[in-house]
Amino acid sequence: MTTTVDEAPGAARPARRAGRRRTKMSPRRRKEALYFWLFISPWLIGFVGFLLGPMIASVYISLTEWDSFTPPEWVGLENYAKALTEDPVFWKALWNTFYFAAISVPLGLVIGVWLANLLNKQVKGRKLFRTFIYLPTLVPLVATAMVFKMVLAPSGPLNDLLGWVGIDGPEWLLSATWIKPALIILSVWGAGGATVLLLSAMNGIPRELYEAAEIDGASPWRQFWAVTFPQITPVIFFNLIMGLIGAFQIFSQVYILAPGGNVGGPDNASQMMVTLLFQEAFSFYHFGYASAVAWLLFIVILVFTLIAFRTARKWVFYETEVR
Amino acid sequence: MVDKVRWHTRAGIAATALIGAAGLTACGSGGGGDDGALSMVVWGGDAEKETYQQRIDLIEAENPDIEIELQLIPSDQYAQKVQTMIAGGDGPDIMQVAENVNSYSSKSQLLPLGEHIDSSGLDMEQRFGPVADLYAYEGETYAIPDRSGAMVVFYNKDLFDAAGIEYPTAEWTQEDAHAAMEQLTVPGEQWGYGGAGWWAQWWSFAYQNGGQIIDDSGRPTANSPEVAEALQWANDLAHVDHVVPTPAEYADMGPDVGGDQAFAAQTVAMNTTGFWGIIGLAEADFDWGIAPMWQGEQQAVSGFGSGLAITRDSENPDKAFEAIELLTDVEAQQVLIDNALDVPANLEVQQSDAFLHPEWAPEDLNMGAFGESADFILRAPFIPEWNEMMAAFDDNLGTFWNEGGDAQTELDKVQTQLESIIE
Repeated sequence: MTTTVDEAPGAARPARRAGRRRTKMSPRRRKEALYFWLFISPWLIGFVGFLLGPMIASVYISLTEWDSFTPPEWVGLENYAKALTEDPVFWKALWNTFYFAAISVPLGLVIGVWLANLLNKQVKGRKLFRTFIYLPTLVPLVATAMVFKMVLAPSGPLNDLLGWVGIDGPEWLLSATWIKPALIILSVWGAGGATVLLLSAMNGIPRELYEAAEIDGASPWRQFWAVTFPQITPVIFFNLIMGLIGAFQIFSQVYILAPGGNVGGPDNASQMMVTLLFQEAFSFYHFGYASAVAWLLFIVILVFTLIAFRTARKWVFYETEVR
Repeated sequence: MVDKVRWHTRAGIAATALIGAAGLTACGSGGGGDDGALSMVVWGGDAEKETYQQRIDLIEAENPDIEIELQLIPSDQYAQKVQTMIAGGDGPDIMQVAENVNSYSSKSQLLPLGEHIDSSGLDMEQRFGPVADLYAYEGETYAIPDRSGAMVVFYNKDLFDAAGIEYPTAEWTQEDAHAAMEQLTVPGEQWGYGGAGWWAQWWSFAYQNGGQIIDDSGRPTANSPEVAEALQWANDLAHVDHVVPTPAEYADMGPDVGGDQAFAAQTVAMNTTGFWGIIGLAEADFDWGIAPMWQGEQQAVSGFGSGLAITRDSENPDKAFEAIELLTDVEAQQVLIDNALDVPANLEVQQSDAFLHPEWAPEDLNMGAFGESADFILRAPFIPEWNEMMAAFDDNLGTFWNEGGDAQTELDKVQTQLESIIE
């Protein structure tokens, strides 16, 4: 009974197959294979029918001009060319998305780590604070956005606060310059989600490491950088990847914060990749172009994720890893 | 010899693909229609659902051979859902359409109704008057008007009385309106007018000046001097004359506060909006009235409405048309008034006592303002690229509305964009 516990039964094993070709399956293995397909099938059907199928279809659609009603018309790479060379809104949306991702993801991580570190200290009411930090993540986005619209009003509380320190606050959502920072603030508001993961990673760090560091005379600061940080890098890395993907796909926030229902406004200053492709597809009936934008976004996300994985070897530390 | 493991893998993948594909096909072909009932989609909330259902019940009771299954879709998802239904080959028999009607008709997703109109003997001109051919595209009618009301001026009688100003009338000019706005403004707390940032509002002024967004030959003329003058006038009301709250001032009033809410809160003394404004004021504790829109060089005002169309997927277009004809006839249109939902498109009902003196309206409310406006409702360009045209305005006028600026400069940009959209 020791054969296959954590290995998918029935799955082809390259190593074994390379050595000798099996000509016959034992009844037990056949049964196992049957069960494997049976139990994996709901996921597989969902994946093939609702993800892989549409993805393949969208490659084709991106090479056509299609309004979803009349038959698609083959145009080759025209949609991609249009996005990259003709459409100023595409580049604006791409830049906006970069801007948002480049600031909100690192900022969210720094704040997440900082909060997790604070909440890991032995203070009174620690559980209460932990709850409070996580609470914003549980509030529905629409409700949060409504509150943010009030907070970010030109004479709202945030600008009042800035006024006390002598800063004349901007008009946030009404300003082409400040709507992106406003979206970043809204995203940082949800940093508590990352905090919880980081906190559990911190809890998993063996006490001995800190004791050893203390004996060596390490300051709390040094302890954080030499012990805590390396130990939580896998979770930071996870949050980085998830954050990157999420940031590049920002959608609902833009819709809900849109001033006067002008999605992407003012003057496309908050137009993001996904809001753009949604608009092109479902409002303008340019499915071909929207699919091309989707694939370009896919490539952008892929490149950034790959970069993150490549550099990860330098800074992500796995305890079990032998170097 | 075939590797069993590999064979199993392949068979598994093939089976999954097949089942997945079958699942998708099933999604595409689902839905009703087999039992002879007509499907009908409309947008809105509970009020709409109740009213449309009542109208359907009414015609079903009198015509046993007609059976309609009503499907209500929230307004913000309507276009997307209907688009998906049609693209999937499962379009409804009857669908509600409005400004973007020609996104569908230009792609032959709607049935031309000319023949049906002729054979049924329906006199469009008599039943609907000026809006009879509102939903015509390239000479063919694609929808029958169902709801149709002009934008009207709502005014706060208490504030007008306090300032000692005559109430607005259709005879008012833009100058009269402007003068009243100034007298009704108390800097920082009260404004004369709710503003004209919405296309339906400032386009009214553009057409009053004799301008057009799209000319009769179908070319965009959004940067003509007449249009620019109207846009400048509308925006200066906020940023130069300060008789209209700026977007920043609105944002300070609360999330999503606009003219309608500010008028109800007595922050603005006049507001231009549609029929729904009346319902929004049912609980108002001040005295208010409505009047037709003021005029410029000529009379013009935007209208709001919707029509009923038949999609190409309809299995029984004859019956669908019969149903539409009944729904837009006197009896079923009356329900629109009784439930205070909207202005009925049927002229006979619009001029009936039931509409002019409805139970739910304040006794002296001038409901005739809608009928009076009907004659000068501007013909908005319902081009197939309606949504793109709206985006062209939004894309270029955002900062202009928020911070003020030169209308001509912005409209030149809009014009360039419109020219590339409308080929």
